[in-house]
Amino acid sequence: MKLLTANRLTDGLVLWYAGGSDLSGWTEDAANATRLEDEAAAALLEEWKARETEVVGVYVVPLVDENTLVKREYVREHVRANGPTIGQTALDTARQHQRGEVF
Amino acid sequence: MYQYDQFDHAMVAARNAEFKDQVARRLSGELSEDQFKPLRLMNGLYLQLHAYMLRIAVPYGVLSSRQMRTFAHIARTYDRDFGHFTTRQNIQFNWIKLADTPQILEELAAVEMHAIQTSGNCIRNTTTDQFAGAAKDELDDPRPWAELIRQWSTFHPEFTFLPRKFKIAITGATRDRAAIRVHDIGLQLTANGFDVYVGGGMGRTPHLGHLIKSGVPGEKLLSYLEAALRVYNRYGRRDNIYKARIKILVSALGPQEYARQVEEEWATLDQAQIDAPHAEIARIKSFFPQPNYADKAFDAAAIERAKAADPGFARWMRNNTLAHRRDDHVSVTISLKPTGMPPGDASSAQMDAMADAADAFGYGELRVSHEQNVILPHVAKADLYELYRQLDQNGLSSANVGKITDMIACPGLDYCSLANARAIPLAQDISNRFADEGLTDKIGDLQIKISGCINACGHHHVGHIGILGVDKQGEEFYQILLGGRADEKAALGVITGKGLSAEAVPAALERLVNLYLELRTDETERFIDTVGRLGREAFAGALHEPA
Repeated sequence: MKLLTANRLTDGLVLWYAGGSDLSGWTEDAANATRLEDEAAAALLEEWKARETEVVGVYVVPLVDENTLVKREYVREHVRANGPTIGQTALDTARQHQRGEVF
Repeated sequence: MYQYDQFDHAMVAARNAEFKDQVARRLSGELSEDQFKPLRLMNGLYLQLHAYMLRIAVPYGVLSSRQMRTFAHIARTYDRDFGHFTTRQNIQFNWIKLADTPQILEELAAVEMHAIQTSGNCIRNTTTDQFAGAAKDELDDPRPWAELIRQWSTFHPEFTFLPRKFKIAITGATRDRAAIRVHDIGLQLTANGFDVYVGGGMGRTPHLGHLIKSGVPGEKLLSYLEAALRVYNRYGRRDNIYKARIKILVSALGPQEYARQVEEEWATLDQAQIDAPHAEIARIKSFFPQPNYADKAFDAAAIERAKAADPGFARWMRNNTLAHRRDDHVSVTISLKPTGMPPGDASSAQMDAMADAADAFGYGELRVSHEQNVILPHVAKADLYELYRQLDQNGLSSANVGKITDMIACPGLDYCSLANARAIPLAQDISNRFADEGLTDKIGDLQIKISGCINACGHHHVGHIGILGVDKQGEEFYQILLGGRADEKAALGVITGKGLSAEAVPAALERLVNLYLELRTDETERFIDTVGRLGREAFAGALHEPA
């Protein structure tokens, strides 16, 4: 399973594809993102890559565990989905990551 | 400080108008992202992990109080109420909207600022000693020369598309506070002209710069730099981004051969067409006079009484002030490293408070250091206690300059799209671990520098203790380097021991520091000197918990 993510052109904020055919279907909350089958993700990736006046930097994020949406492959995606971890201690965040509480 | 003339104003206004049009065309779809990306980067606008980031140039780290207030305004109005001072003496705002950028650049232009030369493969903002024009150990003021280089390099048609970015640093003091040996070109002002170091740099293949020429007269500086850049531009590798910096070329040719080619090129140049006339150098120097120093009598006994009554002030005096060229003044460093906070960050209120302090006590002048602190270069000793109290009311009185908690840390994975690991939260953990001021003072001078990836924006190669974040199968790990330094005895640190998890690093550093305290000859032997005396291997075991 995969998620589709991008940055909104006008303000650069991180968005997650949550269905629909226009930008209002995207969400800033990764928890509300649509889990996509590989083929659907690939098709949507191509479609949204071409819609450059709406989003930039579109890419697919693979999910390791399709049931819980938690075990991401990369810390980077965890940080991108949840925002900067400034204010938490590194230890807290490491434990959070190990527990897999991405959302 | 330098004041824009009609050419500067016209140049920045034209660039802003051009970028405003480019942004409009991007938003309408007339420009694709591929077409727009190099244009926005040439104006300091990056797309980072969470949002757009705008990097604004602070030429050679010199700021007026008015300019600092403009940063505060930008933070409040267009960002999330804070900014991040960088290791290039610039400032970055992390949450800028593309649509707002033309307006921000117009507001910056109104106070003679811009974001030119903060990105791209051009000659970047020249950096220098944050105490330039003030330090007691200074031979000559590097700021006019940095300004001369700014005027020569900005939009230089031959050097706008170099093989890679190019960074120049200048110092005019006996102590190197500008880290000149880890720059593409490092310039040391001496009584006989400039000593020119070439081929330094950090990143994935760190090198120290080589002295290729001594005594270049100031009047010939630009033509010599032009020759040095021309050789690099001609032969620097454009086929491999990882081998494109000048350090690789100098290493491949050998410093002597590189120097020979520069000499040969220099001889072919029409130097009179390149070098600034004496009158122009004099004109630029006239913008950097000494302040009209206030003749404030100071009462040394009163300062001693204040120190005795207020230990925080005594500590701040000891750690955050530097000898000034005038006996009745000092330079003050405002630490942006309070316990547990992100290094280099300042809120809009703190920026305003620093501007107020500069107006009240520092002749309206501020500096940014590559260590991510802010400096008031000229403060009358008579004003010190009042300044301290004012800073203290705004959370700006941390008395840890040069100490273990005065860390450099890049934005790391919390903001940067290139990073592999976080740097700021680790710095926060280390800061909390060493929050005891008595312990910090006992440890003495110790520089920790943290980078979230091999690009080394956090200068980990030249930290007494360097920390490099790496990605190990999707987890953050940190390699520890020992023995680096960026001063006049510049050296590159060496990876010591195995990589550590984030949670293991603070305790490992505590063991390392405790071992240093045991092994040092006395309290005058700094950490870096003990590592130099005993060798880094003597400390490797301390990084790992005993089995």
